[in-house]
Amino acid sequence: MDENPGISDQYRTASPWPVFVALGIPVSEVGLLFGLFPVAVGGLVLFCGSAAGMAEEAGYVERPWGALGVFAALCLVLGLAVTLVAGQPVRGYATVAAGVLLLAGGVVGRLFVTEAQPAI
Amino acid sequence: MAITGQIALTVLMGLFLVGVAAWLARVENWRSYTPVGGGATGGETAYGSDEKPAGLIRWLTTVDHKDIGLLYGAFGITAFVVGGLMVMVMRLELFDPEMTLISNTYYNSLLTSHGITMLFLFGTPIIAAFANYFVPLLIGADDMAFPRINAIAFWLLPPGALLIWAGFLPIPGVIPAQTGWTMYTPLSAGVGSGNQANAGVDLMLLGLHLTGVSATMGAINFIATIFTERGENVSWANLDIFSWTILTQSGLILFAFPLLGSAIVMLLLDRNFGTAFFINGGSPILWQHLFWFFGHPEVYILVLPPMGLVSLILPRFSGRRLFGFKFVVYSTLAIGVLSFGVWAHHMFATGIDPRLRSSFMAVSLAIAIPSAVKTFNWITTMWNGRLRLTTPMLFCIGFVQNFIIGGVTGVFLASIPVDLVLHDTYYVVGHFHYIVMGAITFAGMAGLYYWFPVFAGRMYQRRLGKIHFWLWLVGSNITFLAMILLGYGGMPRRYATYLPQFATLHQVATLGALVMFVGGLVWVYNFVVSWLEGPRVEDADPWNLKQSGLRTNEWAWFERKRETALADGGDEEALADGGDPVDEE
Ligand code: HEM
Ligand SMILES: [Cu+2]
Repeated sequence: MDENPGISDQYRTASPWPVFVALGIPVSEVGLLFGLFPVAVGGLVLFCGSAAGMAEEAGYVERPWGALGVFAALCLVLGLAVTLVAGQPVRGYATVAAGVLLLAGGVVGRLFVTEAQPAI
Repeated sequence: MAITGQIALTVLMGLFLVGVAAWLARVENWRSYTPVGGGATGGETAYGSDEKPAGLIRWLTTVDHKDIGLLYGAFGITAFVVGGLMVMVMRLELFDPEMTLISNTYYNSLLTSHGITMLFLFGTPIIAAFANYFVPLLIGADDMAFPRINAIAFWLLPPGALLIWAGFLPIPGVIPAQTGWTMYTPLSAGVGSGNQANAGVDLMLLGLHLTGVSATMGAINFIATIFTERGENVSWANLDIFSWTILTQSGLILFAFPLLGSAIVMLLLDRNFGTAFFINGGSPILWQHLFWFFGHPEVYILVLPPMGLVSLILPRFSGRRLFGFKFVVYSTLAIGVLSFGVWAHHMFATGIDPRLRSSFMAVSLAIAIPSAVKTFNWITTMWNGRLRLTTPMLFCIGFVQNFIIGGVTGVFLASIPVDLVLHDTYYVVGHFHYIVMGAITFAGMAGLYYWFPVFAGRMYQRRLGKIHFWLWLVGSNITFLAMILLGYGGMPRRYATYLPQFATLHQVATLGALVMFVGGLVWVYNFVVSWLEGPRVEDADPWNLKQSGLRTNEWAWFERKRETALADGGDEEALADGGDPVDEE
């Protein structure tokens, strides 16, 4: 029934990103709080990656790679701060690792992914 | 952690991420990804509604405010059922004075979870359900201002719920929190000989944090939507009352929830990283200040939109406009402001400075005034009106009745000398249940019945609706009045066992709860059956609002939607000669 046009149907009505942005937050929170290295890394990559994808889809950025770089920089700075200042190596390195992965993703994307192909 | 465990986790996480990436790639392709190219309409790519995917994927990927409203509704109702079943177990335990059915610690766990479930997983989301579905329709907006943020806000809730309930799941070494919904330190900080240092409490705190993030995102979205997305003929002067209350509520959320989030982070730091905010030399009372600075606005966050629902629905069945519309709006705003100045009325008995206490007493008494203004406006709206006692109307009237008792008992609690006697007794439990169940949930039901035709396309069974209402009205008053009396007798709250002298009133309260339980069964049955096979709505104006000139925008939208649906060759009626004009789009 809802598929029928109403006034609010001129917008696009589907996006795959929000679920994963939302999932990335709890996964990274649990990972960081309990010091579960892989969970923290995975959660952060999931969150930042989906947020970058969403930014592209919404037209805030042209391609997601630059956004990935920004997230990577944030993770690196934060991770180092947590390691050095707060003295929490496991959590800090997890954040750094997420930053490195994101940076790699951004670089690979920029260099190897041709235009007109959907971002992943 | 053992090294094999780490490796296993890493592999699992890696597989999960690869799976996500693969799925995303598929979905993005399948969605016939047309590069926007020369699209002149900057930003949004104009996907037509027919490109909404089918089945489960539609619900996972939707950013349409109506779909998200339905998701919020389904989530809120599920949480309501869970929280309701929890309290039924507790009430059965309280049928006799001894510890019989469940252990005392399990009682405490249920108590904690019941409160948090009802407030954060049912109350806030069910309001968001109505707001998502109807605010854009009421104000003539295309959608919410940030549709994707809207979806994120919803999708934070299921993981949040999972974390909040994690203690009850069979996870080795994790037990449920027993801190009460107020999570007072030092107990909740895990110190002492108790077992609240357990990871179950951390998980609950994380879950609560997530629901707070979700509510904040939603609030920002509603503020932006109401400010910037109003249709051409909707001005501040004729903005409907429900949107006004959502706007005020969103403002409250914006100031209250981030504070709760910060306090929770502080508590987590105290628990896990040896900081000293509340323990280790910090102040346990600081927690109470932070919690109630959030907590009191939270009760108005929960009650203002239901007041808006009642202010919207009650006049439709009284055959007249809302009496003193402006004053209802002003009192909403006044409550919004004042609600930040009363938090210490929850702390009268903690030994805070008596001069501070009396100023909080003054503001707490003052906040009763705008509440009373609204009550008089509802009564005056009905006065000499042409009342039609439909199910939504009955729930609205029930709301007013219960709100009066809840409010008046609140005013007594706001008075320091009275509170020192009644604090931490069942009187307080009675007071707030008159409001959270008797008023807020009743208003929610009014909304669900009132708009049932819109979102189901079918009608519920009227007789069952009325049975539901009467069972709930009678049941809630039996239970909560018994609680007030128990409080006068000195029965302390939050105990699984009690002295034999309280047995009769506790049994009465359990009886009332059973009556409500039966009402709940009737409600679920009615909604499920009517949703699946109720009679289809024949008329876009099922409540005959046009006749009295009281039709609001969402019904006009409903009518347009039905017309286009039929012209498109919708379900049944075959239009012989497609003569109908379809120029609405
Ligand atoms: C008419 C204005 C109101 C006044 C003056 C008032 C006053 C109070 C006071 C003084 C207390 C503290 C009692 C104690 O613990 O000793 C209290 C508790 C409470 N009130 Fe109200 N109240 C009012 C309206 C409301 C509303 C509208 C709601 C809900 C939407 C509400 C929900 C609560 C809750 C949940 C508690 C218990 C908190 C706990 O667990 O300790 N009250 N109220
Ligand atoms: Cu309060």
